Amino acid sequence: MKLPPLSLLPLTLLPLLLPPSLAAHTSNWAVLVSTSRFWFNYRHLANVLSLYRTVKRLGIPDSQILLMLPDDMACNPRNAFPGTVYNNADRALDLYGDNIEVDYRGYEVTVENFIRLLTDRLGEDVPRGKRLGSDGGSNVLVYMTGHGGNEFLKFQDSEEIGSWDLADAFEQMWEKKRYNEMLFMIDTCQANTLYKHFYSPNIIATGSSEIDQSSYSHHADNDVGVAVIDRWTYYNLDFLETQVTSPTSKLTLADLFGSYDESKIHSNPGYRWDLFPGGEEKGRERLVMDFFGNVQGVEVEGVGGNETEWREDMRRLEEIINRARARGKTTEAKKSEAPGEEVIAHGRDLGKGKVEGVAKIEGVEAWSQRILGAGALLGCALFWGGASWLESR
Amino acid sequence: MAFISPTILALRRDPRLLKLPPYLSALCIFIGVVWLCLLPLNEYSRHTYISENALLPGQVHTYFGGSEQNVFNAYKYEIQALVGKDQKAIYEKLSDIFESANLRPARQKYEYHAAGTTYSGENVYAILHAPRGDATEAIVLVAAWTNMDGDLNQSGVALALALARYFKRWSLWSKDIIILITGDSRAGPQAWVDAYHDEHTSFFVAPLPLKSGALQGVVVIDNALDHRFESLHIVYDGINGQLPNLDLFNTAVSIASGQLGIGVSLQRMWKHNDSYQERLQTMLRGMVSQGLGYSSGPHSSFIPYHVDAITLQAVGDGWQDEMAMGRCVESIFRSLNNLLEHFHQSFFFYLLMQADRFVSIGTYLPSAMLVAVNFTIMAIALWIRSGRPPAPKVASTMPEKEKTEMEIVQKDGMTAITPKENLTILERQLFLPVALVVSLHFLGVIPLYVFINSSRNTLPSCFLLFTFLNLILPTVLATSIRRHTPLTPQHHLLLQSISLLVLGMFLATLATLNFSLSLFIGLLSTPLTFTGNPFSSSVDAKDVFPSNARKYISTLVLQLLSPPVVVWAVCYIWGADLGETLAEAAFGWKVNGLWTQVVVWCVWWPAWMIGGVLVN
Repeated sequence: MKLPPLSLLPLTLLPLLLPPSLAAHTSNWAVLVSTSRFWFNYRHLANVLSLYRTVKRLGIPDSQILLMLPDDMACNPRNAFPGTVYNNADRALDLYGDNIEVDYRGYEVTVENFIRLLTDRLGEDVPRGKRLGSDGGSNVLVYMTGHGGNEFLKFQDSEEIGSWDLADAFEQMWEKKRYNEMLFMIDTCQANTLYKHFYSPNIIATGSSEIDQSSYSHHADNDVGVAVIDRWTYYNLDFLETQVTSPTSKLTLADLFGSYDESKIHSNPGYRWDLFPGGEEKGRERLVMDFFGNVQGVEVEGVGGNETEWREDMRRLEEIINRARARGKTTEAKKSEAPGEEVIAHGRDLGKGKVEGVAKIEGVEAWSQRILGAGALLGCALFWGGASWLESR
Repeated sequence: MAFISPTILALRRDPRLLKLPPYLSALCIFIGVVWLCLLPLNEYSRHTYISENALLPGQVHTYFGGSEQNVFNAYKYEIQALVGKDQKAIYEKLSDIFESANLRPARQKYEYHAAGTTYSGENVYAILHAPRGDATEAIVLVAAWTNMDGDLNQSGVALALALARYFKRWSLWSKDIIILITGDSRAGPQAWVDAYHDEHTSFFVAPLPLKSGALQGVVVIDNALDHRFESLHIVYDGINGQLPNLDLFNTAVSIASGQLGIGVSLQRMWKHNDSYQERLQTMLRGMVSQGLGYSSGPHSSFIPYHVDAITLQAVGDGWQDEMAMGRCVESIFRSLNNLLEHFHQSFFFYLLMQADRFVSIGTYLPSAMLVAVNFTIMAIALWIRSGRPPAPKVASTMPEKEKTEMEIVQKDGMTAITPKENLTILERQLFLPVALVVSLHFLGVIPLYVFINSSRNTLPSCFLLFTFLNLILPTVLATSIRRHTPLTPQHHLLLQSISLLVLGMFLATLATLNFSLSLFIGLLSTPLTFTGNPFSSSVDAKDVFPSNARKYISTLVLQLLSPPVVVWAVCYIWGADLGETLAEAAFGWKVNGLWTQVVVWCVWWPAWMIGGVLVN
């Protein structure tokens, strides 16, 4: 079975052609990461599971949530309430519930896997559930929690991610058009140092504590025997649970950040607006739902002002596609001689077509380069011959 | 360098420098003692803290209480009814109780012989398998049938049984829990822990029919009281002065005083107002206990196996009931249950001066090291001195007439004229001193053997005999040596040098293993540095052999501080029975593997003996 490879191209390329001024996003993704294991770090897993539950409640489907949990608190033998994880001593809400999809678990939660996930440098055999399938129209929420320090976050007692690693990963995401806008949240000690080096556009970052500040746990459950949630996350959740009650909520990030009470959080949360177009002013107007909820919006034709330009682009694209299709037919004819391995995903096929086009241009360049090289060699030979002739005289 | 080295080399022969070592040694001892006395001050000691994140002491609610009180009372009644019954009856009752809690009981018989006495009994235990754990680790709850004073541990055993029944109902254990009722407080735990690690001598100690994983922590309950108690006395000294990890002690203190409001005492300091004097006293008591290295409770036997253990002893008459003690144990067990790996974060070498104040090895070690170093300094000084040529025979009142023999030295193309005296190499006659020191150290095996193998009844008379023998032994030894070979001044110096070198080395090494023992023996041996010869740089006979007055004073001091006399004095001061003490030591060697006597007879006593020979 072979999919018609190039007929889908216009559709796939469509988002790329949309002018960046069109701020509305087309999908929402969330990457939720806990980086610590062990029973006494119960709260970090509860933090992440709380966020997981919230974004799910506000409409992001499981398929668009990447959940990384390094340890299984629900099944830890020390858990007095087997099969559950709570984020509050009242134990009203079981975060583990009966519908939870952990995408990366246990020792799969590594710095390498996290960066590969963000930048999509993953092998073809990695299933969809483990990929961040965002595109240039996606708003991405990245939430991280664990034990950190000045410009690093520890992963599972064995390695750590630096703030430059994160910044570079996000830059790659931007270059590969893997997000439209991003909200980066981090709850760890000295969290605000982690986003210090970000340099890619359209990122709003916030953290729980300044440099040299600890990020504290909120309270412990004396029956579970451990702290169940961190302060900053607790107050974020408090806002999200009590204020953002439905997907139609019009509350903004200004409301969320304004809800932080430093006397309650016991540390100074930080914000970074400068990467966002329009800076703090525009950033604060962003809806909470832009990051925590899922858009169900559909792109309506003719909304944009410069329709003629867009049509012109489409016309040119069609020409390119027709040319490519013609070339595709010839290659297909060649391929049909050996139809043994024809099960190729359409995305890959598309890439192949691209590569061929590029290779042709490179081929022309290569010929001129070869002539240039041959000329240089000839010149050298002449020079050498002349020199030896002069010497022998 | 070329400019400095001749100056330094010249300094070597400076008579002022050569006179310095005795004073330097004295200074070392002085600083060592002052150092120790400074430790209780706030500036030098530290507040205790929990180092291991996983422990989370006191963060759980404890539920032991309520109807468990009735269960406890019933068990206590059963145990009181067993007084005077034989082992079989005790085993049957205990196994009944274990079985009623759905635990499988097991037993182990043991029998030891030491100082002519037989120590035999039976351990009964049961293993509570962690419902969701992987059975690779275990924590142990111990209650000895009789405590260290020989009293029936009635509430302790009943509490352990009630807790076993209560723990069985929880599903949150990550490690197996072993409930162990030992036959007594000294031999029983040793037999059990030896057999658990397959280190037992199978002839006297039976192997264990049931085993679990690696032992991660041990809590011993000692409550022989028949009434409410006032505070918990935490005992933590192990065999040979080894200590449990400070985190375990801190966890117990933090839970008892912080979570449950039970007062905590240590080292039998029932009253502690946190004054300097009381801190020092607590610390010194801890050091004495560590230095003697004997078993201070059922927990002691576990510590040599690197299993951290403490004893909780209920003391005083107050308003805390057994349920409070049970809750304390419950909370400690919840903390131990949280452990992810063996105790390793906190200190293993520490001195406690209050339940919440300690000094770590880095702070206190210099004290014992300085005392040990004083011997080494003197040994090096004596070695240098023994290599010096004797002074010229002619009096130096007419130096102009005395022609110093000169010699031309050529080196690296340079020529120098130096006095011949500086170049002669003096041969050190090492055989006699080395042979004497080595043989005396080996000779220490004789008293060691005698005191370990004598029976309880003959021990006091043996010791008395030995004390008298010891009184005249140095003189006898010195005379018999002189009869064979006259001791030259160099022999005299070398003998002292080598003996002090060995002592200094031993004590410095020992200080890292058992700080207190090293310090005590070091302090008791300090006269050895100063007796033996007058402080001088000369090697003439009159300057090397002590004068008569010096001999008498030195002999007196040494005889007063001889090992047997010190043992007598200590027994007298503490009001301990000598025979009992020696029997205890023999038991320690045979059962617990106590090394204190080896140090006394094979390190201290030989050094003392050579000191005695030198002043005769």
